[in-house]
Amino acid sequence: MAINALGLFDAPSSALEAAGELKGAGFEAPEIISPIPIHGVEKVLGKKKNIIKRFTFFGALFGGIGGFALAAGTAVLYVHVTGGRPVIAIPPFLIITYELTILCGILATVAGFFLSSRLPAMRDRVYAPEAAVDKFAVTVECEDSEQFRRAHEILQNAGAEEIRELGGSE
Amino acid sequence: MSEREIAYSEVNDDIVRSLVVTGRNYYITLAVSILVTFACFFGPWFYQIQYGIGAAGMNHPTVWGTYLASFIFWIGLSHSGTLLSAVLHLTNSEWRKAMYRSAEAMTLFSVMVAATMVMVHVGRPWFVHWAVPYPNQMEMWPNFRSPLMFDVMAITTYMTGSIIFIYMGTIPDFAAVRDRTTGWRHHMYVLLSLGWRGTDTEWHRLHWAYTFLAVLIVPLAVSVHSIVSWDFALSIVPALHQTIFAPYFVVGAIYSGTAGIVTVMFVLRKYMKFEHLITKLHFDNLGKLLLVMSLLWTYINAVELFTGWYSESSEEYEALGFRLFGFYGPLYWEMILFCAVAPLLLISKRFRTSFVPMLILSIAINIGMYTERFLIVATSLPRQYLPDAWGMYYPSLVEILIMIGSFGMFTTLFLIFVKIFPSVSLYEVKETLPEPQPKLRTQSESGAS
Repeated sequence: MAINALGLFDAPSSALEAAGELKGAGFEAPEIISPIPIHGVEKVLGKKKNIIKRFTFFGALFGGIGGFALAAGTAVLYVHVTGGRPVIAIPPFLIITYELTILCGILATVAGFFLSSRLPAMRDRVYAPEAAVDKFAVTVECEDSEQFRRAHEILQNAGAEEIRELGGSE
Repeated sequence: MSEREIAYSEVNDDIVRSLVVTGRNYYITLAVSILVTFACFFGPWFYQIQYGIGAAGMNHPTVWGTYLASFIFWIGLSHSGTLLSAVLHLTNSEWRKAMYRSAEAMTLFSVMVAATMVMVHVGRPWFVHWAVPYPNQMEMWPNFRSPLMFDVMAITTYMTGSIIFIYMGTIPDFAAVRDRTTGWRHHMYVLLSLGWRGTDTEWHRLHWAYTFLAVLIVPLAVSVHSIVSWDFALSIVPALHQTIFAPYFVVGAIYSGTAGIVTVMFVLRKYMKFEHLITKLHFDNLGKLLLVMSLLWTYINAVELFTGWYSESSEEYEALGFRLFGFYGPLYWEMILFCAVAPLLLISKRFRTSFVPMLILSIAINIGMYTERFLIVATSLPRQYLPDAWGMYYPSLVEILIMIGSFGMFTTLFLIFVKIFPSVSLYEVKETLPEPQPKLRTQSESGAS
């Protein structure tokens, strides 16, 4: 079973530095756990793909088409002609279309967020409660004790206040 | 962003304290507001359901009354959260961060109260599901050409959007509170935080999701109050049938919403002891916003009067004359005093940064804005075209009680909220603080662990 090394830092800059060094040393996907979003993470750990925008776009598209289909379809199913005006009336139906575009866009964005950030979490994962207050944690998965020793060394050199050995995430 | 420098851990301490430590005053206020809700809202509503909608003062020709005035008022108040949160998020305004959570909560609860007001207004709330498009044995479908159906769609979307918006932004804070609480609170926050850890990936995803939500919610909010205005403006009633109504309602909504925020900020600052998080800077900026909105609102009111006068149509003259100088005329001038004249005080910075005067002004503005909504329904429908169809509207006791009760309901919901949701955004307040710097690392120290 893999073990995890977790180093606690008191400043985002040193956490970033440590994560960069771990990555440079060939560790796969070091993670930074922080109380606030850190600026410049992408420079160190590489650019992240943003798949949420696809969810938002297709959700909104679905909502738009669905919204118009709902208004027009039900108008055809239950024909109720008033004042000799068209059964499928464009201006009022565009309002329904607009609202459902936004509704489905919102719901899809949430779905995209949950899927891409793997929430809600179903099992325990590497975590340090201090990282929700004022510490910045860098964690990395190590395959064996030799790797852990190397990670420990890197974290220590980068100025970690404390280094923990945590059970694997699997 | 603060008057003195505060540490990250202090922010956590303050917020957790605000959730866990509950004083006697809180319980007393909560008890009173629950009492008001039941005595003034649910009691009279129950009576109205038993007795019939005739318990309200609404009758031909004035078939809309204070219920709808309250509905517009609460929907209007809900625009605060969206403006402060979404617009200021998109424009990167740092000062929003200490206050947007409560603003969003205001949005959510006032939308809820507004939706309940509609239920009260329709008289037979048990048929409310007829507004939902679902296949049924009558083979009937809602009429999507009606502004009332626009309303159903807009408000459902707005309520869903607001719940999601406030919840998403709070997930990291739930996680922070989770680690500090015990017992049933801990279990609740474990569920609410969904296992958030604060990894770089999670922050990245949250940032984008939140930004997209903000982008979606701003046009939504504008559409919601435009649609509410069309409930009126798409009728052919004089003084309601006006193209200016959509912007008029949206501006009025943001105006009263911002005033509502000032009131809530004052209360939070004083009673939750957030003095160092919510500062003069916030009141100063809110004051500027209020001033701009009040000028816009005054302008639109002038336009409304001008177009009525310029139309040279006798029914418009009659309706406007009735509004300005009729039975409810004094209320009109009260509204002008509270919403157009008094806010001019905000020109002075000294006024904007004084807490108590700001509180008084914000309450006055909202009284004025409620009056505005009341006048919209109570001075237009009684004066339609033919004089023999005229008739006065006076709110009944049931209506007045329900109006008071709606404030009780809002207060109750908000009081419950401040004990469950961190009412100030932890992580975003931290972002406004100076970033922690690495402690001095000498060669000898770097070896210690």
